[in-house]
Amino acid sequence: MGSLELKSIRKAYGGHEVLKGIDLEVKDGEFVIFVGPSGCGKSTLLRTIAGLEDATSGSVQIDGEEVGHVAPAKRGIAMVFQSYALYPHLTVKDNMGLGLKQAGAPKAEIEERIAKAAGMLSLEPYLARRPAELSGGQRQRVAIGRAIVREPKLFLFDEPLSNLDAALRVNTRLEIARLHRSLKATMIYVTHDQVEAMTLADKIVVLNAGQIEQVGSPMELYNRPANLFVAGFIGSPQMNFIDGAKLGDGAAKTIGIRPEHIGLSRDGGEWKGKVIHVEHLGADTIVYLETETVGTLTVRLFGEHRYAADDVAYATPVIGSMHRFDTDGRVVNSGP
Amino acid sequence: MKSRETTMDASALKRPRRWHILVFLLPALAVYTAVMILPLIETLRQSFYNTVDGQYAFVGLSNFKVLFGDPRWAADFWNALRNNFVFFLIHMAVQNPIGIALAAMLSIPKLRFSAFYRTAIFLPTLLSFVIVGFIWKLILSPIWGVAPYLMDLVGMKWLFAPWLGRPDSALIAVSLISVWQYVGIPMMLIYAALLNIPDEVIEAAELDGVTGWSQFWKIKLPLILPAIGIVSILTFVGNFNAFDLIYTVQGALAGPDGSTDILGTLLYRTFFGFQLQLGDRSMGATIAAIMFLIILAGVSLYLFVIQRRMRRYQF
Amino acid sequence: MSKARTSIVRTGAVHAALIAYTLVALFPVFLTIANSFKSRNAIFREPLAIPTPETFSLIGYETVLKQGDFLGYFQNSLVVTVVSIALVLLFGAMAAFALSEYRFRGNTLMGLYLALGIMIPIRLGTVAILQGMVAANLVNTLTALILVYTAQGLPLAVFILSEFMRTVSDDLKNAGRIDGLSEYAIFFRLVLPLVRPAMATVAVFTMIPIWNDLWFPLILAPAETTKTVTLGSQIFIGQFVTNWNAVLSALSLAIFPVLVLYVIFSRQLIRGITAGAVK
Ligand SMILES: Nc1ncnc2c1ncn2[C@@H]1O[C@H](COP(=O)(O)OP(=O)(O)O)[C@@H](O)[C@H]1O
Ligand SMILES: [Mg+2]
Repeated sequence: MGSLELKSIRKAYGGHEVLKGIDLEVKDGEFVIFVGPSGCGKSTLLRTIAGLEDATSGSVQIDGEEVGHVAPAKRGIAMVFQSYALYPHLTVKDNMGLGLKQAGAPKAEIEERIAKAAGMLSLEPYLARRPAELSGGQRQRVAIGRAIVREPKLFLFDEPLSNLDAALRVNTRLEIARLHRSLKATMIYVTHDQVEAMTLADKIVVLNAGQIEQVGSPMELYNRPANLFVAGFIGSPQMNFIDGAKLGDGAAKTIGIRPEHIGLSRDGGEWKGKVIHVEHLGADTIVYLETETVGTLTVRLFGEHRYAADDVAYATPVIGSMHRFDTDGRVVNSGP
Repeated sequence: MKSRETTMDASALKRPRRWHILVFLLPALAVYTAVMILPLIETLRQSFYNTVDGQYAFVGLSNFKVLFGDPRWAADFWNALRNNFVFFLIHMAVQNPIGIALAAMLSIPKLRFSAFYRTAIFLPTLLSFVIVGFIWKLILSPIWGVAPYLMDLVGMKWLFAPWLGRPDSALIAVSLISVWQYVGIPMMLIYAALLNIPDEVIEAAELDGVTGWSQFWKIKLPLILPAIGIVSILTFVGNFNAFDLIYTVQGALAGPDGSTDILGTLLYRTFFGFQLQLGDRSMGATIAAIMFLIILAGVSLYLFVIQRRMRRYQF
Repeated sequence: MSKARTSIVRTGAVHAALIAYTLVALFPVFLTIANSFKSRNAIFREPLAIPTPETFSLIGYETVLKQGDFLGYFQNSLVVTVVSIALVLLFGAMAAFALSEYRFRGNTLMGLYLALGIMIPIRLGTVAILQGMVAANLVNTLTALILVYTAQGLPLAVFILSEFMRTVSDDLKNAGRIDGLSEYAIFFRLVLPLVRPAMATVAVFTMIPIWNDLWFPLILAPAETTKTVTLGSQIFIGQFVTNWNAVLSALSLAIFPVLVLYVIFSRQLIRGITAGAVK
């Protein structure tokens, strides 16, 4: 149990439409990530699922049951907020137990569930503390613990890692992945960070300006982006876009090649160019090349390479790695 | 040669006198000290002096002995103190709960017209005691008959009485007028505290099923306790400033029959005299000294006991 | 069950309560102003009615304007309030800057000393204040009132402004120092403009008690030439208690300026109170 179905969800603030008809199905136990640029409506969609906002139209079903008029607390969901949103006046333990207490659960059961969640998240030493006495990472774990204790059908996360520093973010990411495996719960997770999306998700939903651009597994989105937006959004560094006419391809308005799908050589190749900048990252080397025929290209080489600015180099695309898009930005026929 | 260099270094390291700090502080310090602190101290000092045999002299605690020992003085003083206390209690029991309730309603998200309500309810706070006092005197006056007329509309005319004119109800009536005027202050301070609670905490409570009343009691109220503490201490101190309203509505004698006399009006009558009574500087200073001690006690209690115990939360 | 239904009922109850209290708050003011434009008979016959062409009368206002020098009182109040606010803001901001910007011996003590006046009413020192004003020959001058109100307003001003000044970025001030600005220039040119919103809050908090005060005008400046509006209307109404038209008109005249200012500035005022008062 723990499936979700959204049917043509629309949400407008005043005259401004923020969600423009969202249809989505989430299966039990799936880890689904909403990703998209800031302001595209991810939080609004999540809050509509939670019942914190009412959709202007459309239906939300959890486990096949319409929940449009059900209070948030009765929807069987739990939510982890970006700012943690812990109750500052309650101890860690009371923070985690408040929801159950409010629902009238027996004391022994509350204790037991808190103990279990605290065990999972190594929060036992902090149970008697108040949020002000915890570090950012600990607060975030309490917020997650508060969600676990409720044993919800659906976990909702709104950018839970964006207030943490880089190292902690990776750790907590692993923790959330582990949690998903051990709880086998359905999770919906909002982020604007595509790395988080690629590493955690079973299924990614790419949103843009209140609409779904594409739904698919991380590799589907990487290998077969349905349109220019997804192609540009997924993958780092960003995909190269080349005017189709420059390559003599009449059918495609734009052609995309990922930086890692381009080979580079000093001796010869498809497109001749001059190196304008090189970033040495150790594992990768990113070369920016000003070519004569196709404009500026970003090339990602694995390992260390001794290119330097002003070197002359030849770029060659890996065969079959090109993505072709028509004038509306939709894919014409995909690469491999 | 070498040693000279080091001494020069040392003097260069020593900071030049930072005169600008003094310049920044001086005007405020001068006015504040000259017009507020020194007179306050001087007033306290004069409570130990009186005129003995036409000679102004140090008399120790004898002014205080008169105030508490002389039956006439003591009766006036205790009467005023008791009235002050009642005045304060009525504010705590009526003004602050109403203020909190109004703030709680105004802070409901997306409530329409809330700006209008807020503006309208705060208006009386801006009016002077003089205006407020006279308006209510007119409204409650049996001659004009507005109050009985309005009460008749809801079938409660039999309850009407010239409240301001009766010794047993005048103090309550005056207190309620003051409550009417000042309810805007607790309302605004609590409202600000409520707005300070992050939306996400309230939403987390919604998800935990803590809604409506229980949300107010379990989440919001604990978080606005510091603001309620501030409101209480402001109410306490303001209580001793409440001269204007009573002077306007009931006159310097704080009638009827001294039933609305508070320390402020007593101080005024004692110091400046009224009608047949002559002004008495020393006894005025003595009453001011007692008020000072009471306020000091109340404020210390708040600062060192109540505020220490109260947690202030960071979000 | 329906979330929408219960919330409509609840919202309705909230609006009912708020409307009720708004009526309680506004009714007395409305009653006063409405009746000030009526003839004496109409005031008593139908106190709740708004003036109609038959009942309209300006007799009260004529009496007031003939008898009392309200324009003069108004001018006194304005001078006292404006000058006091200006001094409180200037001196208060300077002291707040010194306390929040520089570390020097006695800094904390100085802060506490200045904060003392937030809790202790200045009225308790009236006995000695009056003696001092007599000695300085300032009784029955507006200067006496201005001095008292400046001292009265400073503690809260210093307190609020130094809280705000702590939030001004150190980098900005240091950039100014590197550009060769003196400490005075840093205060006047960099810091003051940035704390303007807080200054507005302080101005409001300072203004209300000054404009409405009865105690000090009564004690320090009761002369006809130095009466403030508050004292003036108090005395005028005391003399005319039985002339209802005059009393109501005098009250309305005293309310008008406050009302007009409030309608214009209520938004800023309320924002100032909610933003600046309790952090
Ligand atoms: N309460 C609101 N009132 C009006 N507009 C809003 C409100 N909440 C969000 N929006 C608008 O909706 C859009 C989507 O917001 P949001 O869902 O928070 O985006 P994000 O994808 O960054 O989470 C934004 O343009 C935002 O300005
Ligand atoms: Mg968001």
